[in-house]
Amino acid sequence: MAADRTPDPVTRAFTLLTERAVSLHAAAVLRAGYGLLYLAFLLREFPHRDEIWGPGSPWSPALARELQGRTGWFSVLTLSDRPAWFACCYAFALLVCALFALGWRTRALSVLFALVVTSFHGRAILMTDGGDNLIVLMAVYLAFTACGSRWSLDARRRGRRPARPAVRQAALVRVRLRTVLHNCAMFVIAAQVCVLYGSTGLYKVQGDQWRDGTALHYVLHLGLFQPWPALSHLADQHPLALAVTGYLTVLVQVAVPFAAFSRAKYAVLALLLGMHLGIAVLLGLPVFSGAMIVADAVFLPDRFFRSLRRPDRSRRPGAAPAVPAPAVPDVPARV
Amino acid sequence: MCVTTALVHLCLVFLYNAPPNVVSQRYQRQINAWIYPYFEQNWQMFAPNPESAPQEVWARAATTSAGGTRRAGRWLDLTAQDTAAVRHDPFPSHTAQNMLRRAWSLYSTAQGTGDEPGPERARMLRRYLAGIAAQRLAAHGSGAFDAVQLRVDTTPIGLPGSPGPRTPSSTQILPWWQVTSHGR
Repeated sequence: MAADRTPDPVTRAFTLLTERAVSLHAAAVLRAGYGLLYLAFLLREFPHRDEIWGPGSPWSPALARELQGRTGWFSVLTLSDRPAWFACCYAFALLVCALFALGWRTRALSVLFALVVTSFHGRAILMTDGGDNLIVLMAVYLAFTACGSRWSLDARRRGRRPARPAVRQAALVRVRLRTVLHNCAMFVIAAQVCVLYGSTGLYKVQGDQWRDGTALHYVLHLGLFQPWPALSHLADQHPLALAVTGYLTVLVQVAVPFAAFSRAKYAVLALLLGMHLGIAVLLGLPVFSGAMIVADAVFLPDRFFRSLRRPDRSRRPGAAPAVPAPAVPDVPARV
Repeated sequence: MCVTTALVHLCLVFLYNAPPNVVSQRYQRQINAWIYPYFEQNWQMFAPNPESAPQEVWARAATTSAGGTRRAGRWLDLTAQDTAAVRHDPFPSHTAQNMLRRAWSLYSTAQGTGDEPGPERARMLRRYLAGIAAQRLAAHGSGAFDAVQLRVDTTPIGLPGSPGPRTPSSTQILPWWQVTSHGR
């Protein structure tokens, strides 16, 4: 970005926006991450599927329809009360999640994935938590990105076909439009994650227990978030460590919006990863933690993923590669 | 246009999450129209304070005889069922972690508010809660019943380093709710 030496900043911004699709690898990580996460969630709840989303749920189809009528939420699941319809929707959802994660016909599948996630979320909206909430937002945003242009079946198919030069004006315009849409959506995703961390951190700042460092003591005592009671009790015996961890949690969360667009992000992301792994195991919230970890990947630029693949060429994550033509060219981005 | 939409969206998302202020109050209608339902979000995770007095929901069933007398069964600890289901499960189900917990917390807040959508919402949540209780009681083998009753015990967590109280600090007993007959 900074290497572009065009004097006019407006032209430069316009060029950046329309000609270069940013963070295509991060978009691919989000696609595969959320696709697999929702697939795992649906499979995990398979024994409880009727209780959560089916016609036999205590949140009956009639109640769900009444609430949807007020909120305006659409769900394919409430279109019919027949068990056969529910079974079809469930099988369809599993298939969509798997194909979306693999990146098959991603343009269409991303829209279907958003439809599946919003349908299942809207049907059981009273049973959802922050993780489900984030997955819905991301599923909607991802439908506007070019999340299938890297690490996908689509990319592999395109790689086998000889590249067709886009000569027609209409095709060029379409590519540019997609690039703009993708860049805007990726920016919205990044900003949404900043809003999430910023607001959750600032909410905590207002709480007495986060201020006096005892918040995690109370969290560890909640029976529904205690899959390993021995582990929770062990952690609870270290009040100083808990106070430090609590403070660090709040500080890191508040720091995300300020650090996300600088070099400091790598340290912040590493801390967040540790925090979420802890939450996943100690509090028994793997879907929630997984949703957060995948969301954090939005801040990883393409050069980070390239440096992962070729650690011998560029050691520092921020360093520009020594050879100007990378193996995976970003320009022109076929999105 | 993409850029404008993205920026406007982010402004509205920010205002929706920010504390109520002059701007968000003036444009509340526009903000809500855009955010609801699909961009609704709430990031108060364990904040401002984590729960320090968890609640335990119990339920019992009753049959009403032709003469109108009600015969009640034994109390069943629904929250203990959930806690037991979470124990030693690396991937707990939403039915254990969220279903009853959120249904009760939504119902008790819907009860508290005296504003317009309150009673309607509370009515829907009451049917939901009654349905959860009825399903659990039926699965537990409570025989035939046509009414359920909930009891909610609140037990504060002790301060760090001290054991909490063994007995609940308060108990709330809800009225009997009629449900469609089970086990007949």
